[in-house]
Amino acid sequence: MQFSEFLSSRKALMKALCAALQEHYEYVSVLGVDVKAKSVRADRNSSSISAGRDTECGFVVKMSDGKAFFEYSLDDIQGDISALCAKMVAAFELNAELGCNTVGNVHLTDDPLTQEFSRECDLDAYTDDQLLSACKETCQMLLGKSEHLLNAIVSVGSLEVSKLFITRNRDLSQHYAWVNGMMAAVYRDHGKVVQSREGAYDHTMKKVLADLPTLCDKLLKKADALTRAKAITPGVYDVITDSSITGLIAHEAFGHGVEMDQFVKDRALAKEYVGKYVASPICNMRDGAAGVLSAASYFFDDDGVLAHDTQIIKDGILVTGISDLASATQLGLPPTGNGRRESSRRKAYARMTNTYFEKGNDKLEDMIASIKHGYMLFETNNGMEDPKNWAIQCVAEYGIEIVDGKLTDNYVSPVVMSGYVPDLLKSISMVSDDFKVIGSGSCGKGYKEWVRVSDGGPALKVKVKLG
Amino acid sequence: MKTAMELLRKHPLVSDYKINIHKKESYELFFVKGKLETVRCTDTCDQEVTVYADHGEFKGDSQFFVYPSTTPEQLEKLIDEAAHKALLINNKHYTLPENEQGEYRVDSNFDQYPPRELAALIAKHVFAANDVENASLNSVEIFINKHTETVQNSRNLCKTQVRYDAMVEAIPTYNGEKESVELYQQYNFSFFDENDVRREIGDKLREVKARYEAQKPDTAIDCPVVLSHKEASRIFFSILRDLNYASVYSHANLFKKGDLVQKDAQGDLISLTLSGESKGSTRSAKFDGDGLTLQPVCLVEKGKAVNYYGSNRFGQYLGEKPTGDMSCMIVEAGTADASMFENGPLLEIVSMSGLQVDFFNDYIGGEIRLAYYNDGEKILPVTGISVSGKLSQVLSCIRLSANVIAANGYTGPDKALLYGMKVF
Repeated sequence: MQFSEFLSSRKALMKALCAALQEHYEYVSVLGVDVKAKSVRADRNSSSISAGRDTECGFVVKMSDGKAFFEYSLDDIQGDISALCAKMVAAFELNAELGCNTVGNVHLTDDPLTQEFSRECDLDAYTDDQLLSACKETCQMLLGKSEHLLNAIVSVGSLEVSKLFITRNRDLSQHYAWVNGMMAAVYRDHGKVVQSREGAYDHTMKKVLADLPTLCDKLLKKADALTRAKAITPGVYDVITDSSITGLIAHEAFGHGVEMDQFVKDRALAKEYVGKYVASPICNMRDGAAGVLSAASYFFDDDGVLAHDTQIIKDGILVTGISDLASATQLGLPPTGNGRRESSRRKAYARMTNTYFEKGNDKLEDMIASIKHGYMLFETNNGMEDPKNWAIQCVAEYGIEIVDGKLTDNYVSPVVMSGYVPDLLKSISMVSDDFKVIGSGSCGKGYKEWVRVSDGGPALKVKVKLG
Repeated sequence: MKTAMELLRKHPLVSDYKINIHKKESYELFFVKGKLETVRCTDTCDQEVTVYADHGEFKGDSQFFVYPSTTPEQLEKLIDEAAHKALLINNKHYTLPENEQGEYRVDSNFDQYPPRELAALIAKHVFAANDVENASLNSVEIFINKHTETVQNSRNLCKTQVRYDAMVEAIPTYNGEKESVELYQQYNFSFFDENDVRREIGDKLREVKARYEAQKPDTAIDCPVVLSHKEASRIFFSILRDLNYASVYSHANLFKKGDLVQKDAQGDLISLTLSGESKGSTRSAKFDGDGLTLQPVCLVEKGKAVNYYGSNRFGQYLGEKPTGDMSCMIVEAGTADASMFENGPLLEIVSMSGLQVDFFNDYIGGEIRLAYYNDGEKILPVTGISVSGKLSQVLSCIRLSANVIAANGYTGPDKALLYGMKVF
């Protein structure tokens, strides 16, 4: 696997365009993106090998005149650079009303740095035939294990990312890969049809292909349990969260609220809580592309800022938020390397990367034993943020009832966790000493701008409203 | 793509091909607290080639993207690789749509304005809509898109359509003495009317003031729940997803043709039709990704599933007529008159984090950000509560308004009345 030949072939033209636009703007960057995504899938009746949804190849040019930002997305940089430059400048001529109503005072820094980054991966070692065979074999293995399966779906998706970032003073390239494997069951028993999923993820295909078949029994056991799941009686309960639900809380309940473009817009209550207690003193939370190796681990962000490992909450106190270049500049703070785009066709925003609670000192069995009546919640379904008012809605795929300090065989599904973020975070009374980050997530901002993320952490004991 | 087609025709393993071209031009404005922060333009074109290879009783397919920089030599290699990938795929045979040509324009008045002028005009009316004291729009994003989509295949099909859409993401905020609160709004449309823009944004600004005034109820609420068309349409879209050919073929659905979607129905019976177009909807299209012309199809009639819908391939697999993938929905008006939505006790939901509708687990519910509680005497804005219920029970006695509304691909009752929901 090598860095994109296409981007390498356009480097000189990117620099030329950058130089030409600098005649008109005080800051210019050009980001070239070449993402090769692949999806291989098999189910009972069909199979496919297709270009994954993240496949893209293009450029985005970002400029600032000190008063506002301007971005132009295009497929290629070639031909007459002067003409392309003139086209871009003309595209951003503003009418008088807009021209005198800009945010102003946005002077971006451009510290010198030239560096190439890459992370080894093994995608080249596997042919399409091998990947399809692996999916088909695992699918057949799964189908052979239960007569209750209406269908089984097994897929592997790979992502090979090349990015080239050019400004007057910066010349950065990065090349890395990520692999997600997924298996799903459509299962019928006890007069009910359910769907359940398991995932495997890593920066190597080898590990994902090795892990997927080992998840078959767990998947079927869960599917069977879900056919017996009942509705939960709404109420406030003592709850233990698994790593996935811990990550969902980190991400939805608090992470979105510390994206600092929301600070600029006065859209985040967290802005008023920097330096104050927002969570239990045993609670520590981080975000960063450089924090752990997972789905959102890159070397520099889409603004050309190197990846960070940011401590957001330390001992229950909010330390800082996460920022893209534009929001950091407007707030007068150093950027944290969280400027991310859905693709080269979309705007960069302050976005989470790998977001997680740090592990604590409690044993999971002691945490369960401490609950007279409550639930342990498993697996993220979805969630919705409310950064201004700190309301939460996190949906778990299922929960297992805890009675007298023991997990029972009573499943509930789905489980909607709701309430007020500080109440939830301050209710954290135990944090387990194990730790897992789930690397198969994707996240929108509002209802758009989807990027790959991971989240997770240890198990938490909290008190929260379930319904 | 002329070279690509020549190469595709010549390749011995390629039985059929399809080319999808999507040219997108956009103009985007981003405002922070009323000031212009960012201007964006995009000028991009996606060209995706699908190669089909018939082998024995099977048909395989594989896709690749062509970029402006792709050379004829690279194209030849990509086609060869795709053909060999397609040979690995042992899917049941099906045929491609054939012998249709046409150039279409999906109804919109956007072509009367240069995109940058339209964006500026929309921005003007968005901000002018704010007539609520202490309210503001802390973030406004405006996207104007023009899509030119072409589908061409090896079976003499070649169609092009031009579609426009706009999206306004506005965050209305109310800044009171005790706190500042906000709501989220995403407004999509393909027909510009300044009065519609002002009304949409103005309504949301008044709602955010109500959220500021809203309080968590002191006592338990136990009464019917009213959903707006935005939340009610989520129920209907969940039914739609279940009746898609692909879901049916992969056994990932619940309802079969002839099944009752509403069992033991005592309320209004749901009748639901899917259509390719709806005036002003950003979901409107003349044809789908395979080039199939979209025609209305009735999916649910008086509470019973009567048809499926979906793509060419899965339609053929099920022995059904492919209808094409489409997403504009028409729901028949109900029988509930306005008084049923006015006479309390009622909890009228205005804004939720997201209504969860789960047919598999027979669940409906979610967290409420703003609702009006009508206790029969007075109406109070409330927040900090959630609702949940058994979906099958809710559907059996659902009442739909006689009044209908058309809103971005949904034409149907403007309100729904749900019984048996627990408020907590």
